[in-house]
Order: sequence, then C-alpha cells, then structure tokens
Amino acid sequence: MRRLLLGAIIPVLLLGAWEISSRTGLLTLESLSRPSDILVAGYAALTDGSLLLATVQTCETALLGLMMAAVFGIVLGAVLGLLPTAERIAGPTIEALRPIPAIAFMPLALMVFGFGVGLEASIVAYACVWPILIVTIAAVRAIEGRLLEVAAVLELPVWKKMVKIVLPAAFARINVGLRVAAAISLVVAVTVEIVLNPRGLGYRLILAEQALEIGLMWAQLVWLCLLGYVLNLLLSRVGRGSAAIWRPL
Amino acid sequence: MQALRKNPVAVRPVEASLSALSISKLRVRFGARTILEAINLNVRPGEFVCIVGSSGSGKTTLLRVLAGLARADHGRVLFDGAEISGPSCERAIIFQDYSKALLPWRTVRGNVALSLEARNVPAKEQDAIIDELLAKMGLSRAREQFPAQLSGGMQQRVQIARCLAQEPKLLLMDEPFGALDAMTRQVLQDEILQLVAEKHISTVFITHDLEEAIYLGDRVVVLGNSPATIVESMDIELPRPRDQLTTREDGRFLAYRHRLFGLLVHDRSERRGQC
Amino acid sequence: MRRLFDPIALASLVFAFSLLLAWQLFADAHLISPIFFPSPLHTLAVLEHRLADGSLWLPLAATSLRMTFGWLLASVIGIVLGAAIGSSRVARDLLDPILEFIRPLPASAVIPVAILFLGLSNAMSVAVIAFGAIWPVLLASVHGFSSVPPELANVSQVLGFGRADYLRKIAFPSALPDIVAGLRVSLAIALILAVVTEMQSSLPGLGWDIFSAQRLYRSADLYAGLVMLALLGFGANHMIMLLESRVLRWRNVRT
Repeated sequence: MRRLLLGAIIPVLLLGAWEISSRTGLLTLESLSRPSDILVAGYAALTDGSLLLATVQTCETALLGLMMAAVFGIVLGAVLGLLPTAERIAGPTIEALRPIPAIAFMPLALMVFGFGVGLEASIVAYACVWPILIVTIAAVRAIEGRLLEVAAVLELPVWKKMVKIVLPAAFARINVGLRVAAAISLVVAVTVEIVLNPRGLGYRLILAEQALEIGLMWAQLVWLCLLGYVLNLLLSRVGRGSAAIWRPL
Repeated sequence: MQALRKNPVAVRPVEASLSALSISKLRVRFGARTILEAINLNVRPGEFVCIVGSSGSGKTTLLRVLAGLARADHGRVLFDGAEISGPSCERAIIFQDYSKALLPWRTVRGNVALSLEARNVPAKEQDAIIDELLAKMGLSRAREQFPAQLSGGMQQRVQIARCLAQEPKLLLMDEPFGALDAMTRQVLQDEILQLVAEKHISTVFITHDLEEAIYLGDRVVVLGNSPATIVESMDIELPRPRDQLTTREDGRFLAYRHRLFGLLVHDRSERRGQC
Repeated sequence: MRRLFDPIALASLVFAFSLLLAWQLFADAHLISPIFFPSPLHTLAVLEHRLADGSLWLPLAATSLRMTFGWLLASVIGIVLGAAIGSSRVARDLLDPILEFIRPLPASAVIPVAILFLGLSNAMSVAVIAFGAIWPVLLASVHGFSSVPPELANVSQVLGFGRADYLRKIAFPSALPDIVAGLRVSLAIALILAVVTEMQSSLPGLGWDIFSAQRLYRSADLYAGLVMLALLGFGANHMIMLLESRVLRWRNVRT
C-alpha cells in the first residue's frame, strides 16, 4: 500500500503541475496540450472505436509475425540444437545476419509485398525469429542426455521424438524466448506503422501529429504505454501457467 | 614485549588499566524478537576473547554491534572509553565469506591499498607499507593477482592484510576460518595469534569450533539461550606461545573442552525443550 | 595445435558461400526477380563502386555518429540515474512505477512528439535514440548498484568512506559487469533507432539510403546499404566486446 502511494506521488505532481501551468499560461508550447484535453481526446477516440480498431489491427499483425517466427525459429532451433555440428556450420551465417536491424528490411519488404499486413508481419517475423532461435538452440542443447537415450531406445520416429520429448523438455526456456519475442513484436509492428504502413496504432499516431491534433496524439501515447504494460503483465502470467499445453501430447 | 621471531609469540602483559572494550547491559532486538539480552563483557587491551555458541545464538549480531554496523536497543558499548556511535577504522571486522568481502576487480595489492586510501596515506608511501604487510602475510608472490585466482586460505589472508592496513585497535572476526580446510586453518590460527600479539590488538573471535576457541583465546565466552545471554566466561590458563601439538594435548585443554561441550549440549537440549 | 585448418570453420565458410552461390545461380537463371533480389555479384559491384566514389562513406559516418551520440547520452543518463535509484530504497519506490509505465512504449512512438519539438533534425534523431537506448542501461545499472554485496558496503562504512568515495571505489566497479551488458544491448537499440529516425525524416544516413534506393527501385543499392549496416552493427558490437575485455579483465582470469 505504501509503495503504491509513494509511486503515485511523482506522476500526480507532474500531471498537476502540467495542468496548472497550462491553464495559467506559464506553459504555452503548442506541442504540449493539457492533461484534461488529452483525457477528453482519449475518451473520444475510445468511444468512437477508432482506437480499438487500430489496436486490433496492430495486434493481429504482430501476432501473425510472431507465430511465423515461432514456427520457423523453434523448428530450426530444435534441429540445430540437436545437431551441434550443423549449428557450428550455420553459425557464422546467422551471426552475419543477426546484427541487421529488422526495420532495415522495410523497403525491401515494401517492394515485395506492397503496403499492408504482409509488409508488417514479415518484418515482425524477421525481428522475432532471432531471440526464439537462439533460445531454442540453447534450450535443446541443455536437455538431459538421458531423455534422448530414452527416445532412441523406444525407437521413436523423428517427429514423435520432437513432440513428445524434445519440445516439452525445452519448453521452459523456449517460453522465455517467446515472451521476449512477443514484446519485440509489438514494438516492431508499431514502428513499421509509424514509418511506412498506413494501418494500425502507429499510423494513427502519425495522422494525429500531422493533423496537429496534439491532445489525441498524447492520448494515443498513453494508450500505447498501457497496452505495453498490460502485455508485459499478461506475458508474465502466461509464463507461469502454460506448461499444461504439452499435456495432451 | 619480546621481539618477534618466526614462531614464539610475545607474552601478554597483564594490564590492570581500563578495559579496551566495555559492554554493559546490551540488548538487541530485531522487530519483535529479542536476540541479545543483558550482555555484559569487558575486554582488556590486547586480550583475545573467543565467543562460542550454537547457530543463531546472536554471535554475529553481537559482533556487528561492536563493529558499529548494528544498533543496540538498550545498554552501552564503550571502546577506549568512548561510546560507539557507528563504524570506525579502528575497529576492523573480518567476514566469514571472504569472496564477498574482497574487491574482485582489484589485485591483492589494490585490495590492501583500499585501507590506506581510507586513511589518506599518500600514494608514494603506500607501496612500502603494502609490501611489508604482504610479506608478513606470505602474499608477496600474489601481489598482482586477482582474488579469483587465489585459494580460500590466501583470500582470507588478503582480507586480514587489508584489515591490518587499517591499523585497528580492535579486531573482530566472524568465523574467519570456517570455510577452510584443517591444515590451512591451523596455519592461519598461529599467524593470527602472532599478528595480534605483535601489534597488541584486542581481538573478539567468533567460532563454532570449541577447540579453536580454547586454542586461540585468553578467554572463552559462551553465548546461549534464547534470547542469548552470556552463559559462562571461562579464563584460559594455557601457556603462550600456543603450539598446535603440545597445547592441544595439555590436560587443562581437555578439561576446558569437556566443560564447553557440557555447556553447549545443555544449551541445545534446553532449546529443544522450548521448541 | 594450429587452428588454421579447422574443418568446421571451413565448412561454415563453405555453407555461407554456397548460399550466396545458389542465390547467384538463381538470379542468373532469372528464377528470382532481379528487381527484388539482385545477384550477389551485382550487389558487390555496386558496393565497390560506391565505396570508391565515396557515396557510401557519408551515410555510414552520419548513421554512426547519430548512433554513438544517442548511445553516449543514454549511457551517461542511464548510469547516473541507475546509481541514484539503485542505491536508494526511497528513490526506487518513488520512481519505479512511473518508469515501469513508460518503459513498454516503443521508442519509435515518440518520433512524432520529437518532430513537433525538434523538427526533422539531428537533434530529433539523437533524442529519440537516447530515449530508446536508455532502458537497458538504466535497468542494468539499477540492478548492478542495488546488488553490491552487503559485506562490501560494510567494509566501506568501516573504512569511513563517504557517499562519493563509496560510489566511485566500490559501487560502480561492482555494478560494472551489469552495466556493460546493458551498454551492449543499448548500442544495438541505438543502431536500430538511428535507422528508423533516418527513414522517417530523410536525414542523410544508411537508413535513408536504403529507403531512397527502394523508391528508385535500385535494389542493388538497397542491398549494398544493408551490407554496410550489417558491417556497422558487427563493428559496433565488436567495439563493446573490446571495451568489455579491457574493463572487465578481472573476470576472465583463470585460477
């Protein structure tokens, strides 16, 4: 309780000072607006559905990219994790590609896909695949040798070995990689929308800025913060309860 | 005082003057729990006092109060006649976990230099002092090495060297040799006796090891019960210099050992009754 | 034993080259569109040409400078703030909630705000870079400064060090491994944001280079830009690793 109160001190003070100085004319930058105006604009955007629509657009694209990255990353990661020689051979190529920022591929993706979901999802996928891949390789490599021996003794075919033994055992760590990637997916999706793609929350942000609807712009920023915060909260909850996925297999 | 040779330790002077350390009616609480109660203890200048007691009996808490790192709820601690109000360079404390008490990013030389920097010793004079100390502790060859490269015994020596560089009047040691092997422990026991005698440093030494306590101390204080009080304070009338072989075979040594064992077993069964 | 002919290293080079070779063959046979995927040789030729006539050096320098300035700014603020927060329970209680709230905001989202305040300028770019790059350093610093072993803190008290000496001689070196790890991630973020801000604001740099190459459908230039970006990223990471091995020498010694 005490921590809640202490933590609220600075935001409340700042907002209060902001509001008062705007009203009394101390602060007159047009780019700053007022907390009360921001609230009004935010409420309007929520109720007329534009904010929610944009949120859905951003989230569905991010999710699509994340899933593609997950499938590719986990499969490739499992293979490379199980075959250390293959991993060392492919290593330098991976290390050469990894430092290239995903958003640098935006123009290329634009050429190939044009504007729309494909552009965004592909960039998200490229950005998300690396943490998933690396974590999966490490996770698979860390699997207790005996489990793999059991698989060999039972003469499981490759795909069964993967599904029943390798993946469940590596799950906890892969999960961590997925959570990191999920956070990245949102950030990258918004970034693509800000720079290029006329779709989603990032695009709305640019529109508000260009139309000089400052209150709306700040409200959208607050919304983004909330979204990210809730996402992080959900991810940490999911992390705790998700081992159950593997049970039916 | 006799001049120091390699092994013989100077005979302790019997001083009738003021105590170096005077603890009276000390009480220490932690939240609702009382850890130490009615502690009264006087340490003479140059005296070596060992404190023993079962785990959790408040020994470390007492040491931290003496170091000025913890506050007492009641009672007084006087050092050199003045009340203790906080940590001081004069009261050096040696921690059991030497790996956490040394600066891993500094060499052995650098670690010892820390105390000299605190005392504002000019840089030009530092090297001479450090080299002398390192030679005394047998660390000369490890001068430019990092703590991670040293064995446990060597690391503890570095900690001792750093404490000695503080020129302390009181040395507080919290089970310093507990994590070391038996041989290293014995070597360091003799070294520490030599060092504190040479500099006439009063010492309060905590240990689990009853034999170590008897071997090292002029007096053994037993801390027991809950909240902890001083159950017994036993003077050790064994000749100095102590010797790992002959002292430990001395009849009186065995008698002290019997007594201490008896006290601690008694304390243990009392505690069990309380649970 | 000399490692010159390590078979695995050789195999990895062969692997990389065969990928490029396959790409080249596909391009030559027009199996893939040369508009989207120009052949490696063509890209190499363009790269060579532009390196020779100097038209790649300016964008490279511009992006590097922005990235570095933004990163330095983020590092200094992050470390100082991290020291303050990490060594004070009160500061942490006061600042944690608001920082936790702002942190998830994508740094690129502040670009419109930055443009309003600072226009389409280098200052805008550096500000956005600093905003995004500060988080890893800040979090690492807070963690580092709040994890100083209590024994060391006690030693500092006994020796009578004041706050300034404590921070300088004990807390900061103790936190340094964490801080350096944070600096590394920050640098990667700084590079990404430098490219993003360039694309957004047409400031000269590798990002803008790649962007305008796409506009003109000069895909070989686009790829050349990507290669330079990869080299920059690789070089930057290497610099940090060098810094790390110097500053954290004591971690790598063997008993």
